[in-house]
Amino acid sequence: MDVQALRSQIEKIDTLPTIPGVLRKLLVVIENPKASLNEVGGFIANDPVLTSRVLKIVNSPIYGFPGRISSVSQALILLGLNVVKGMLLGVSVFEAMQKTMLGLWEHSLGCAITARILAQKKGLTEPEEVSVAALLHDIGKVVLGLKFPEEYKKIMAEAEDKGIFILEAEKKHFTISHAEAGAWIAQKWNFPRNLVEVIEYHHKPHLSNTVPVQTAIVHLSDIIVRAKCFGFAGDNFVPAVNSVAWQTLGLSETDLKETLSELEDSLSSAEDFLLSEA
Amino acid sequence: MKTIVVITKDPLLTSIVNRFLKDSYNLVNFFSMQSSLDYIYNSIPDLMIIDIVTDDPMTVNILNEIKGDPIFGHLPVLAVFGDNFTVSDWDSMLIDDYVRRSFLEMELTVKVSLCLHRAERIVEVNPLTRLPGNIAINKQIQKRLDAGEVFALAYADLDYFKPYNDRYGFSRGDEVLKMLGRLILNTVKGKQPSGSFIGHIGGDDFVFIVDPENIEETAAAIIDNFTKIMLTFYDHEDRTKGCIESVDREGNKRTFPLIGISIGIVHNKFKKFSHYGEMAGAASEMKKYAKISGGHCLKVDKRHVEPDITQKA
Repeated sequence: MDVQALRSQIEKIDTLPTIPGVLRKLLVVIENPKASLNEVGGFIANDPVLTSRVLKIVNSPIYGFPGRISSVSQALILLGLNVVKGMLLGVSVFEAMQKTMLGLWEHSLGCAITARILAQKKGLTEPEEVSVAALLHDIGKVVLGLKFPEEYKKIMAEAEDKGIFILEAEKKHFTISHAEAGAWIAQKWNFPRNLVEVIEYHHKPHLSNTVPVQTAIVHLSDIIVRAKCFGFAGDNFVPAVNSVAWQTLGLSETDLKETLSELEDSLSSAEDFLLSEA
Repeated sequence: MKTIVVITKDPLLTSIVNRFLKDSYNLVNFFSMQSSLDYIYNSIPDLMIIDIVTDDPMTVNILNEIKGDPIFGHLPVLAVFGDNFTVSDWDSMLIDDYVRRSFLEMELTVKVSLCLHRAERIVEVNPLTRLPGNIAINKQIQKRLDAGEVFALAYADLDYFKPYNDRYGFSRGDEVLKMLGRLILNTVKGKQPSGSFIGHIGGDDFVFIVDPENIEETAAAIIDNFTKIMLTFYDHEDRTKGCIESVDREGNKRTFPLIGISIGIVHNKFKKFSHYGEMAGAASEMKKYAKISGGHCLKVDKRHVEPDITQKA
């Protein structure tokens, strides 16, 4: 399939499914009449697909400010509780590849948590923006896995057999990787440009022009979470840190140590969220 | 009692209309469209019922002219069609609903009350935010005053909105106003789901109504939410600088602060208002105090209690 045809196939996707465990909890949230915007927002911000759905709605031309909103809490203020609850009612779940997806959900949530800690360390004004970008950085894997489930299983098997990164196997098969696929869908859904850029360059952070620090943070978070064996991003190895990104961040050993220790508690509560019953 | 103008030459139709409607409405009968005009131009009725017969282009032409005038565009028109009558082009027949002759006895009463109800439901809205506009706002305030309700009215507008418009252009400015409309709507509905009201006067002027005990918290939440979200409506460099460069009213290059929001508040708990203009004026005055204090702030009218007239958020 040529790249244009692939892109138009991917752009046809309207919504993504989530994982079954999240759906069960979601019903509890919807049915609770006392749930506040903050509670609903906190719930949504733990799930890459719910987050992408909220951002898609708030950035649609209907509301009149497309491409402006990249945080869940802001999206909720602008959409209102009723719109958000209505959106949640329409959420579906993955039928195939559930195990792979659960691993990816853990990985994404772990990255979001790590990125928020790093953003605070670097004194960024909008840590939530960075954490959303980290949560969504692998959305392309969800897209490819949903649209081409059989091919994606082969890609994962090939990566494992040949001992190559899943990124390489994706490129061999599709000529593009999940990073491009994610950026395409993010662009199609009118996500803010900064967000699209982080998704597109999280494996090539040196190419990020407008938001090099955010991209570097997400790139590093991806690697830290893999190294901590939290969740499963599809690879059995941990890739190297990009040197430009490392320089951009200029983290000291103490910064890293503090980040890792802060991460410990947050990750275990993230695990509770995804694995516990409703 | 609501007034309905009925236009028909047919005595049978007149008698049916009278039989079903005369107890509930004030009916004014005319034989032709032409003869009704003087009445309509002097006192807009709540509904017109028009008998549409074939080979009478005059009636339809006059009707279209009336409905084409913005002042009369809202006047609902219920047409009575013969059983074989069809319309292919609704642009040449500006009516709002119809009822067939053979269904008159069954449908007339229901159709009339639906037409009247629908006309009331359509409030005039601000085209940008789709929030109720000026007239609807004034009506809302007056309705509450007349009913003796105790409520708080807040008047919000933006500080340094003009330099933003000058720097980024009108369409980016409109984005900010649409965002602000959604933000006020959801913040107010979140604090008080029922009995609250949100309106858009125009430009960057908004009003909202909640119970007096909720008003300060609601206004403070709006300021807080706005301050956070507004940052993302600036380009990266301006966001980092925390100010923008633009030209002032005299054409001089100047540095302006980022957009803020000022909110003035009044309520009728102790001080009585009888006219909406009086109350809106007082709220607007409080908003000016808020602006003088440097924006990002709310001011409550407390003049009934003590001479100290303002309170900073």
